[in-house]
Formats: sequence, C-alpha cells, structure tokens
Amino acid sequence: MRHAKITPFLFIAPMLIGLLVFRLLPIGVSFGISFTSWNIFSPPQWIGLDNYRTMVQSAAFWEVARNTVVFALVFVPLVMGLGLSLALLVNQKLRGSTFFRGVFFMPYITSIVAVALAWKWILATRFGLLNNALIDWFGVQSPPSWLGDPSYALFAVAFVLAWQSAGFQMLLFLAGLQNIDESIKEAALIDGASRRQVFRHITLPLLSPITFFVLIISLIASSQTFEVTYALTGGGPQRASTTLAFYIYQNAFVHFQMGFASALAYALLLFVGGLTLLNFVLRRRWVHYG
Amino acid sequence: MADLGHGGAGPDVPRESAAAVRRRTRLRRMGVDTLIYGFLLVFAFITLFPFMWMLITSFKLPGDVFRIPPSFRPSMLWTDTPFGNYTEVLFRFDFLRYAGNSLFVATIAATGQLVTCSLAGFAFARMHFFLKNVLFALLIFTLLIPIEITIIPEFLLMVRLGWLDTYLPLIVPSLMVGAFGTFLLTEYFKTVPASLEEAATIDGATPFQIYRHIFLPLATPALASLFVIAFITNWNELLRPVLYISDRNLRTLPLGLTALQGQYESSWTLLMAGSIISILPMILVYLAAQKYIIRGFISSGLK
Repeated sequence: MRHAKITPFLFIAPMLIGLLVFRLLPIGVSFGISFTSWNIFSPPQWIGLDNYRTMVQSAAFWEVARNTVVFALVFVPLVMGLGLSLALLVNQKLRGSTFFRGVFFMPYITSIVAVALAWKWILATRFGLLNNALIDWFGVQSPPSWLGDPSYALFAVAFVLAWQSAGFQMLLFLAGLQNIDESIKEAALIDGASRRQVFRHITLPLLSPITFFVLIISLIASSQTFEVTYALTGGGPQRASTTLAFYIYQNAFVHFQMGFASALAYALLLFVGGLTLLNFVLRRRWVHYG
Repeated sequence: MADLGHGGAGPDVPRESAAAVRRRTRLRRMGVDTLIYGFLLVFAFITLFPFMWMLITSFKLPGDVFRIPPSFRPSMLWTDTPFGNYTEVLFRFDFLRYAGNSLFVATIAATGQLVTCSLAGFAFARMHFFLKNVLFALLIFTLLIPIEITIIPEFLLMVRLGWLDTYLPLIVPSLMVGAFGTFLLTEYFKTVPASLEEAATIDGATPFQIYRHIFLPLATPALASLFVIAFITNWNELLRPVLYISDRNLRTLPLGLTALQGQYESSWTLLMAGSIISILPMILVYLAAQKYIIRGFISSGLK
C-alpha cells in the first residue's frame, strides 16, 4: 500500500501511547520507586538499597517467596495435566464432544470472585459440602479446615484457580492436537505400534511446541495470581496463602508502602523473567519443531 | 489416551473369521467409548457442580443454609417470594446498579479496544514502518509482564490525574493496551489478499478508507471474537475496581460482590444470589457467542 511515512504511526498512535504510558514506562518507574520510602501522602525519600535489604532480611518475604514457588509447583502441573486430559477426551470425536468442550471452558469466562465464593462455601469447615461428604460417605473423623488451616490454604487456592482455568489450557492443547496430521498416527498403527506408543512417541513430541507455550502462560498466570486469593482466603491464614503478587498488592495498597512494594515487584519480575528464560534455554531438550 | 488391554489375538486363538474380528473390534471400541464418556461425565460434574450448588443455595431460605447434613432443596421456591434472595440483592444491596455499571464499563472498554486494536493491527499487518517489528515484539512482551509490576506507577498516575472514583482508570488502560486484540487482528488482517487493497489504491482510496471500508467489514468475525472476549474480561476485572473505586455507587459487580462478602460473610443465600447475578450474563453471552469466543481464544495462542 502506498502511504505517507507518518500514516502508520497515526494508526498505531493510540496503542503506542497506551503501551508506553501504562506498560513500558511503569516498568522503569517501578524500578525508581523501589529505591525510595514512599507512603504517597508525603513526598518520596531516596533510601538507596534499603528496601531490598529489608526484603531479603525479612522472614515474611521468604515465606511469601516459598509460597510463590510452591504455588507454581502445584498449580502449573495441575492445570496443564487437567488441560491436556480434557483436550484428549474431547478430541475423541464422540457424539457430544462439542458440548463437553463448552462445559469445560465455561468456568474460564465466569467471574473468579463469584466462583471463588461458591468454592469457599463448598470448602467451609463445618457446613461445607466437601467436609460433610467426607464425614458421611468416607467416615473421616475430623476433616481439615481447607481454607483456615495454614497447611491446606495455599493448595486450596491453587486447586480453585486450576479448576477455573483448565478449560483455557484445554482449548490450546485441543488446537495443537487437531493440527497433528492423522496419517502419521495411522501409519504408525499399521506398522504395529500400540496406541500408547503412538501417544508417547508421536502425539506428545508433535504437541510439544504447544505444551511449551501452555507452560509459559501457566507460569505467568501462576505468578500474577491475585483475584482468586483476594476472594478465597485474603492471603491467610496469617500469610499461608500469600504469594508475591498478592503481597505486592497488600504492601502497596493496604499498607501504602510504595517503595517496598516496588522492590517486591522487581523480585517478582526476576522470578518470572528467570523462569521464562530458563524454559527457553531448556526448550531445545524437549520441544520438537517439525 | 484410553487403551484397554491388548487387542491382538493370542496364540491360543489360531484363526478368527472376519466377522468375529469385526465384532471384537466393535466391542472394544464400545468399551473405550464408555470409558471416555465416564471420564467426560466425571469432569463435567466437577466443572458444573459449584454452579449447581450456587444456584441451589441462591434459592434457599437463610435458615436452611446451615444444616447438617446439607440440604439440596431450594426451599425458597415453595414460599410466596421464590426470588426473595435475588430481589434483596438486586434492590436492597444495589446489585442492579452494579450490573448497570459493569455493563457500561465493559461495553465502552470493549468497543474502544475494537477501535485501537484494529487500527494498530491494520498498520502492523499491511504497512511497513520504522521499528515495526520491535514495537510488535514489545507489545507481545508486555503480555508476559504480570500486572503487579506496572500497577503501582499506574495507580500513582491515576492519583495524579485525579481519576480516582471515576471509570477512566477501568476503561483507558484496558482500551489502549489491547496487546492481545492487536495480535489477534494483525494475524487476521495478514490473511486478506493484497489484490483487494491494490485495487482500492488504484482507485485512489486513502489508507484510512481502505481500513474502514475494506478491512473492517472483512474482519467482522475476528472483531466479534475480540469484542466478546474484551467484554467478558472487563466485566470480570477485579484488581482495578478494588484500587480505583471507593464510591459505592460506582461499584462494578465483582467489587460489589466482595463488598457484600466483607459485610455479610455468612449470608450465603445472598452471596450466592449475587454470584449468580454476576456470572449469568456472561454465561448467556458465552452460550450465544461460543463459536466466536472459542475461535478468538484459540487464535490468541496460536498463529
């Protein structure tokens, strides 16, 4: 198309300004704020590396950091396993598989606040359905307080988030499965391979670029978990289900410690960036590009 | 993948008629199918159960909530105010207003995203310009940055602009940084044959006219996908309303729901009615536009 040099910039201007003002500049500004002590009611004060020093010396930070890692270790395999299983099930081209696909994706489009409330009610200690079922059907004497016990709360949050978002991973895996050429699988079957071998040696390797992509977005979803924590446990009991993203929110907008929260944000950035980079490095070990 | 034992004939079955082989294959296929249906039903149950429980609880009398063992009877349906929890939440607790607010915010933000993302997508797909690939890569890069990294400066900017307790912070960032939408539409516009725009250029059409009269109409399915997805995302958004809205009259549904939870922590009948009110419109949108939503989400991930 023939156009003046300036024309494309007019087309991208709204998006470009938004990108700069709301996404790119804030990354730098956060870094600056992380060297200050700032409660937003009085002007910021330069305190050098103090926030970072306080951060690495505080037990709370390490507890939260550990929670973040544990959360990722639980959530990511769970949501990916569920997503892949659901995709394999609805990919069987049985009657009704479109219906089931629609059902599995539904939680993803519903408000996490609302579904978290429903889960909170199901997981409630005394009157919750789950514990009553455990007592009546399985003879469990004193079932745990899923959201009130520090040893379960983080897992409960991870489970609810996986329940809500597995439908999305399913869609991505499904698209990947449907891209695989059926004739390759059929050829292998004719050559005497078992269905399990076909899955292990043909389907999984051909699916690996999608698996890699799903892994990255699941890690990012895991590291920015906020809404489900906010609605389900509020990060509690104590800090048991507080992950870094939620801790940033608390420090910035509950305690108004903008400087410290920005330092935490950089810790999160380091965590996400490090993991993403690591995955790109490890990628060639298991991802096959056909 | 389901694999039920070994299908091959054992050594003690020397020969089978073709009909017998066919029958056995069919039986095996039926076995596999039954197993798959079994799994599908179990997963569907786990997926739908919280919604069913939400629905049942929202039709219970408050006194029936704390029963042991729990009752599955929507007891309010047998009173003369079967929708009592809903009317209470909608009118006494202002959820009708919150729903209106959510509708307003989500509509404006989604419509705005259509404009900004399609303009940018058109330029990225059909024009050559300085730093184009760098800018596009930066845009995709921002999808990898958790919102918590950028939200503090964004909040301080909104304070500085005096936008607290307005809808601008809920609308403007979401409307202007549609990284996902721009990506979606760029990919879509790339598939339009070049001959169409060449013909229009020869006829003297400006780039904007080509965008407006050729590309936008062609992109209707992608625009529909983007609109529905952006609408749902904005409808469900919680973080920004929590930060920017403290005026109760301006609350969106998710914010209203968390406020109700904070105030009446054990009024499960009301909380579940409020939850149904905030998810039902999205489920209806989903049922009506499932095709567009699923297609849009799939192309968000894949080229």
